[in-house]
This record gives sequence, structure tokens and C-alpha cells, in this order.
Amino acid sequence: MEIFLAQWINGISLGSIYALLVIGFNLMSIVAGVTHFAYPHVVVLSMYVIWYVLGATGDNAPIAILAGIGSGVAISLATEPIFRPLTARRAWIASFIATLGLSMIITDAMAHGMHAGRVIPFPTSFVGTVPVYQLGVATLFRGQLMTFIGCISVMVGFFYLLYRTQTGRAFRSMAENPFVARLRGIPIARTSRNSYVIAGLLGGMSSVFLSMALRYASPALGNFLALKVVTIALLAGLGNLRGGLIAALIIGMVESMVTGYVPGEWAGAVVFGAMLIAIMARPAGVFSQEAQSSG
Amino acid sequence: MAKRNSVLEIEDLSVSYGPVRALTHINLEVNEGEIVALIGANGAGKSTLLEAVLGINDINSGTIRFLGKDITKRPTDWIVASGICLVPEGRGILSLMTVLENLQLGAYHLKANFGERLTRVYDRFGVLRERSKQMAGTLSGGEQQMLSIAAGLMSAPKLMMFDEPSLGLAPVLVAEVFKIIVNLNREGYTILLAEQNARKALGIAHRGYVFETGNVVLSGSAQQLAGDPRVREAFLGGSMK
Repeated sequence: MEIFLAQWINGISLGSIYALLVIGFNLMSIVAGVTHFAYPHVVVLSMYVIWYVLGATGDNAPIAILAGIGSGVAISLATEPIFRPLTARRAWIASFIATLGLSMIITDAMAHGMHAGRVIPFPTSFVGTVPVYQLGVATLFRGQLMTFIGCISVMVGFFYLLYRTQTGRAFRSMAENPFVARLRGIPIARTSRNSYVIAGLLGGMSSVFLSMALRYASPALGNFLALKVVTIALLAGLGNLRGGLIAALIIGMVESMVTGYVPGEWAGAVVFGAMLIAIMARPAGVFSQEAQSSG
Repeated sequence: MAKRNSVLEIEDLSVSYGPVRALTHINLEVNEGEIVALIGANGAGKSTLLEAVLGINDINSGTIRFLGKDITKRPTDWIVASGICLVPEGRGILSLMTVLENLQLGAYHLKANFGERLTRVYDRFGVLRERSKQMAGTLSGGEQQMLSIAAGLMSAPKLMMFDEPSLGLAPVLVAEVFKIIVNLNREGYTILLAEQNARKALGIAHRGYVFETGNVVLSGSAQQLAGDPRVREAFLGGSMK
């Protein structure tokens, strides 16, 4: 029971971070038209920014958090000129390859240029390893609680933007039918750029929560997260925002439970195996409806 | 009839899709208060012309003026904001969004008096008010066409363009849509209508242009065109489907 509770807490916190990453990834995919494999790599890069700023400011958390979020937006916007010419002529595969290239460059830069490629641990004052609630071996740490509350708040904010504002409606119209969106007078270039800003914002905030929940970052983390994010998005149906959220929470939970109950390092195999079976059963995505717009 | 103000002037317009010439040296004019019909077979260039006006197609040469202003190289969102809307062929709606959201997006650039315009549109199309919270994709074909027109009206257009509004609709609904167009015109909307159904189109239009493989081959008043032997043979003959 205690292990179950502990893994449940882990799973929720992990799943909610996956969910943020998948939402940002899906947003890029449906509005900007980029299947952004390097999206999680950029997030890990922001984690390095947080770590550097923490070191430089004597563990000043607010400044580090702002730097992490700001770097997420800045890097996202900086990549827009790379992808724009490709998406403008609907070169989907070329833009995907470009993101693969970007992911390798970021991984290499982290492996060779930053902290000599060693794992960077986040200071305990930042990750909040203060127990908030304890039941036997099950401990709810402050960092986990903040991650969970933070992710939920960000998601609520994002879905409010998406469903209650004109910017969000513009996003959804471009996702569903770019031609009709254009006829309505939606400024395509500006709306697309806005999606880079929002995806960067989500990525920047994910980097903060990841730093708190994982308590470390490494050059390999980008690839690890990217595989998860891409597979969760495919599992739910590429571009399906609500489906992606639910799938992310489920995967986070399953992964955490397998880690807790199955001996050895089987979490990856079990999770990806389950995903393969799900994709075989529903190739368009588990949460896809008949007319769901896809890639 | 006194000479009215020109709303749309197209001069020597040519458009290509890659190596394929879609429109060749088109000259065309729409005056305030008119219904102008573009007739011709599928692929004759009618849709290309409407999309060129809205800045969707790349233009090779020529100029398009709207209310005296050159809009030839302007982006689509600028042109829509300046007062031209297109009710496209097929379903010009966002089927995964609600009826209300479709109308809100129709007014993308116009924030002032949104409620007032929405009330007017709902008064005109009562069924849309009833279904405002429904996904647009769940509407019937006729209702979707009305939503498409309503979304255009939300942008407070000075020129409304219709592309094959009768396509895929049952005859009863076709009559309904044409009645809506006539009513809009009576209320002062200037209309440019591309339609394969030449009989219907010339029946409500003031003037018309006949398109054939990217060229205007004939133009004149609707009565002249309806009486022209070439038009009768090609588009109005009893042997036509």
C-alpha cells in the first residue's frame, strides 16, 4: 500500500510533466506544422540555463525560474526562422529532419560544452526535498507537490487560452483547416509565431518542473524525453491536445508503477511495448475521432 | 441606370499555378450594389479569380483595386479586414468548433459592436442561434452553408464573394441560398458570385462574365447573356444535365 502510494505520487508528478511537454509538442505540430522532435531537448537546455543561473546567483530560485522560462521562449522563437521556410512549402519531412538535426546539435553541445557533459544536480534548496506528507516509505516532497500544482495550473491556463480567447480560437482554426482560417482573416504568420511563443512558454515552465521533480539533468535526458513525448503524442493521435494530456498522465502512472513493482530496469520496455500494442490496435491514435486532423 | 461607384476593379490580371496558366489577362469590374455573376465550366478559372482577389493565389501580373485602393500584393488578413469576404466552395466552416466560435472567428479583426452584429446574424439565421453551442460539423448541409455565409457577414464586408454556393445542396436549399443572396443584395451588399448553374446565377445577377479556360470570353448584362446564343448553347440548353 505504501509503495503503491509512493509510486502513485511519483506517477502523477511524472505524468503531469509529460503532459505539459506533449501539449507544447502538439501545439507546434498543429499550428506551426512542425513535428518538433527537438522540443524536449530545448526544454533540457533550459534546465541547464536554470542550473547555471542558480550557480551564478547563489541559488536565487525566482531569478533562475524566470531565466528558465525566458530561455524557453527565446530559444523557441529563435528556431522559427529555421522552420518557417520549410513549413511554408509544406515540407513536413524536411522540417522533421531539421528538428532531428537540432536535437543532435543540442545534445552534443550539452555533452561537450556544458559542465563537461557530466550530470548536473540541482541544489536541494531548489528542488524542495522537504517532506510535506509522510506515510511509511511514501513521502510527498514539496518539489513533487509544487510540480503537480504548477503543471495543473499551467494546463488550466493553457486550455483557457485555447478555448476562451480569440488567440486560442485562431490556433484551433489553423489546426483544423488553414484555408478557412485564412478566409476568416486570421493572420497566419503572426498566429504561427504566437504558437512558438506559447510552446516556448510551456517548455520553459516544464524545465522548471522537471528540475524540481527529477533533480538532475544530463545530455542524454533530451533524447529520453523526446522518445516519450513523440510516442505519447502518436499514441493519443498526433495533434490531439486533450488526448495527449490523458495519455501522458496514464503513461507517467504506468511507468511509475512498473518501476515500483517490476524488478530490474523494465519500465521502458513495458511502457513502449504497451504503446506499440495500442498503436497497432488504433493506428490513428487511441483518442482519435473520425475527422481528427493529423500530421 | 446612373454610373455607380466601382467596388472592385480588376485590370489585366494573370495567375499561374506553376507552369499552368489559370487566368489570362482578365478585366473585370464590380460596382456598388450589384450582383455580378461569373459563369463557366468547372476549372474555367472562376474560383482562381475569387481567391486571387483575396490574396490567396500568387499573381503574375495585373492589378486589383478595391474601393479605389490597390490591394494586389496585400496579405489575405489585410484584405479581409478591409472588407472583402469569400464564402468558399463546399463547407467553409470549422466543423470541430462551435457555431458561436465560427462566428467569433468571422469577426477576427472587428472587436467593436460584436454583440450587435451577432444579434443581426442570429435574427437572420434563427437556426444558428438555437445551435450556437453545437459543433458546426453536426449541422446539416444547408445549415452549414448558412453558417458559412453568417461567418462572412460577421466581418462586416463591403464586398461578398460566393464560390459555387449551390454545390452539393438539394434543389430546395439551392433556391433558399439564392434567396439569401438576393436579400443581402437588396440590403445593400455588393456581390460577386461564381456559379456553374448559369441559369440560376443569371436569374439573380445584374451583370455577368463568361469564363472559358482562364479567359473572359463574353460579358454583359444578365439579360444579354441569358439571351446570347453561345451562352444558351453552352450553359442553358435543354440538353444540359
